[in-house]
Amino acid sequence: MEFMLEGGFWLSVVQIIAIDVLLGGDNAVVIALACRRLPPHQRNRGIFWGVVGAIGLRIALIYFALYLLALPFLKIVGGLLLMWIGVKLLLPEAQDEHGRIEGGTTLFAAVRTVVIADAVMSLDNVIAVAAAAKGDLALVIFGILVSIPLIVWGSKFVLRLMDRFPLVIVLGGALLGWIAGGMLVSDVVAHDWIANRLPHATLAAGLAGAALVVVLGRWLSGRMAARSAPLREIPLDAHGRD
Amino acid sequence: MANSLRVLVAVDGSLPSGRALEHVINLSRAGAVIDVHLLNVQIPVESGHVRMFVTPEEIDGWYRDEGIAELEPSRIALDAAGLPYTQHIAVGHLVETICRYAAEQDFELLVMGSRGRSGLGRALMGSVAQGVLAKVSVPLTLVK
Repeated sequence: MEFMLEGGFWLSVVQIIAIDVLLGGDNAVVIALACRRLPPHQRNRGIFWGVVGAIGLRIALIYFALYLLALPFLKIVGGLLLMWIGVKLLLPEAQDEHGRIEGGTTLFAAVRTVVIADAVMSLDNVIAVAAAAKGDLALVIFGILVSIPLIVWGSKFVLRLMDRFPLVIVLGGALLGWIAGGMLVSDVVAHDWIANRLPHATLAAGLAGAALVVVLGRWLSGRMAARSAPLREIPLDAHGRD
Repeated sequence: MANSLRVLVAVDGSLPSGRALEHVINLSRAGAVIDVHLLNVQIPVESGHVRMFVTPEEIDGWYRDEGIAELEPSRIALDAAGLPYTQHIAVGHLVETICRYAAEQDFELLVMGSRGRSGLGRALMGSVAQGVLAKVSVPLTLVK
């Protein structure tokens, strides 16, 4: 386990955990919601297998992403995509409706929902984590194994943290921009050309990426927040005695 | 209820919430005529992705279940004290939703517990009570 002693390893691990927690909170919600209708004795099994399926699928997706990112131009595409993901993290949630998959009341249906949902929802994580891992699959697996329990059992804590400190989200956006910037200049096509002309290109691109994501995200969310939403109350049939 | 004071008690099922409610029950025992409303606020969990896989009814059902569970200690305390009350569950940013609910529904007093966290806990989670104190526009009682 010699590689664990290097500082760069732990820096990447911290980055991967931060990405998974920030971008993965909604996965935990889907798992909980998909399993809510199951009879109690099956609920924990549904959550367990849903999580196992989600982890397996995620590692497989990142494995392919790591190979794809070694191809020319794909890091540039990935970097730009990642910047957009960072900006999206800073925006208030859009209220658009989508087609949806039924939660289902059988164990199989619940696990299926969790796994399909994770495949769709984790695409942004996959790009970000693959970028932060810089080609090291061991790092990816380690980061995921640490962060998944945190997401599944700590989602309430993370939600509270983000609710109290919106700054956490801004920092998350900046982190994604930083990774995206570094990714852009490390593409096999761009790397040598840039390295010859610009010293410290990775650092400069990272800082520029972080700044761009934060400025763009704040500007867009400022425009979207202009219309204030009505208070949202959940109707209750059971009122107190009057 | 005529001539009663409309009081909103923001609760989350925690010990400080229980102390806040106890204070309201004491006021009532001392002769105050209070129209008690309990408010539990759920932090929104759904992103566009979540809505893709779960129906809005399912999400609302989740908020209802979580809210009812967090309201339960307060229901038990009020039932035991024989005080009538109304329950509400709202969804949104905690501080903003509590403040807006109190103002928009014309409450004359907001009562809530303060966790009294110190040191690291406070630095990490901050305090909802502190946020409300800074923002609220109706009279506020914080119970420690």
